[in-house]
Amino acid sequence: MFANVTLSLLEGFLGTLKLFSLTLLFSLPLGLIISFGSMNKNLVVRLPIRFIIWVVRGTPLMLQLLIIFYGPGIFLGVNLWGAGDSGRFTAALVAFVINYACYFSEIYRGGIQSIPKGQYEAAAVLGLNKGQTFFRIVLLQVIKKIVPPISNEVITLVKDTSLARVIAFYEIIWEGERFIKSAGIIWPLFYTGAFYLIFSGLLTLLFGYIEKKLEYFR
Amino acid sequence: MAILEVHEIRKKFDKEEILKGISFNMERGQTLSIIGSSGSGKTTLLRCLNFLEVPDAGSITVNGDVLFFANYSKLKEEEIRKNRHHFGMVFQQFNLFPQYTALENVILAPKLAAKSKDEIEEITENGKELLRKMGLEDRMDNYPHQLSGGQQQRVAIARALALKPDILCFDEPTSALDPELTGEVLKVIKELAKQKTTMIIVTHEIGFARDVSDEIIFMDGGVIAEQGTPEQVIDNPSNERTKQFLANYLK
Repeated sequence: MFANVTLSLLEGFLGTLKLFSLTLLFSLPLGLIISFGSMNKNLVVRLPIRFIIWVVRGTPLMLQLLIIFYGPGIFLGVNLWGAGDSGRFTAALVAFVINYACYFSEIYRGGIQSIPKGQYEAAAVLGLNKGQTFFRIVLLQVIKKIVPPISNEVITLVKDTSLARVIAFYEIIWEGERFIKSAGIIWPLFYTGAFYLIFSGLLTLLFGYIEKKLEYFR
Repeated sequence: MAILEVHEIRKKFDKEEILKGISFNMERGQTLSIIGSSGSGKTTLLRCLNFLEVPDAGSITVNGDVLFFANYSKLKEEEIRKNRHHFGMVFQQFNLFPQYTALENVILAPKLAAKSKDEIEEITENGKELLRKMGLEDRMDNYPHQLSGGQQQRVAIARALALKPDILCFDEPTSALDPELTGEVLKVIKELAKQKTTMIIVTHEIGFARDVSDEIIFMDGGVIAEQGTPEQVIDNPSNERTKQFLANYLK
């Protein structure tokens, strides 16, 4: 029984992992673009971006999932996401990417703005252009600064994926709950916690390793 | 011909005029020190020469090329970058790049500008030579946080020299250093003066300025109050403000 449950939960956890990894893949770079927008000198760019960040960070992710999944059908009369599981997955992914990109963008912004002005000035008097200054001078210093808060968000994301079941996205909690109905046992649901725990433990080790790697400078 | 001609430079921040028409010339191989109390505009002047600030009025001419003429040109980023090649800058806070070793700090910019592999080898050799001259041969592979302030500042000087600027500028190069570390930096600058490096030094070290400079400018309230040789400006000042300033210093 235990082996059976474990296998089923692993299958559910694949769904969790898929949403987790694709969310990171898209939201990490998208967050950088958003952060540039939120620091743009031009108000026409900056204000709408700041507004979106405010809305996304100011409302529950669960609500965002519902709005993104059901909204197009209800308000626009179009079935944007298509039918079936792949549609649910796409909708969940879109909601997660937007949500996490906004959070990441604020972390990036904090990191970028914490770089002393002197670094930019030193780069400027050495004749570096904007791209060289960002990629050769600023970026690694920013990465070093943001690894701890990013790791926090990433670990939160592992657990947040469970929210996607509100639009019936198949993941590990869903799988665990299934046993209540099918076999009348509740421990598989509780057992899912171990999967989250082990995975976030691995992530903690990974981020610890990255932090260590960046310790060579201050 | 003068290597640098500065004419009627003006700069306002908000409503306050920090530079109220600064003009001076300097010859190749000279060392010019700018002294004056805090807020007199000396750092702003230096930053204008390096285009870290854009003057509101005036002109800057290097080797006969007009780099900046406020009434008529709006500089593009590309032009500003080209203009900066004439000037090297050493900052009060060193501003080394923390993720690069001493040597990497020195050769980063010339390497980015290099066109061939051979050139990069030459740049690296040149960088090592510069650090050796700064007395840092055993510190080349250290990161900035592993160096003392005086060592960091010497790396910063080597970094500025690596681009072979026409004029090397120093913005209070020893102000952020512990007193016992200023000597090693001043010694390096003195050595550069001996080798006829063209330098502009903004400094609070009056004694040092007297020893090392061919010319001294005393700034007060955004204007040049007095200019001349160290003997004229420091030993026999004619301007009342200069006398006051120096009297406070010697106390």
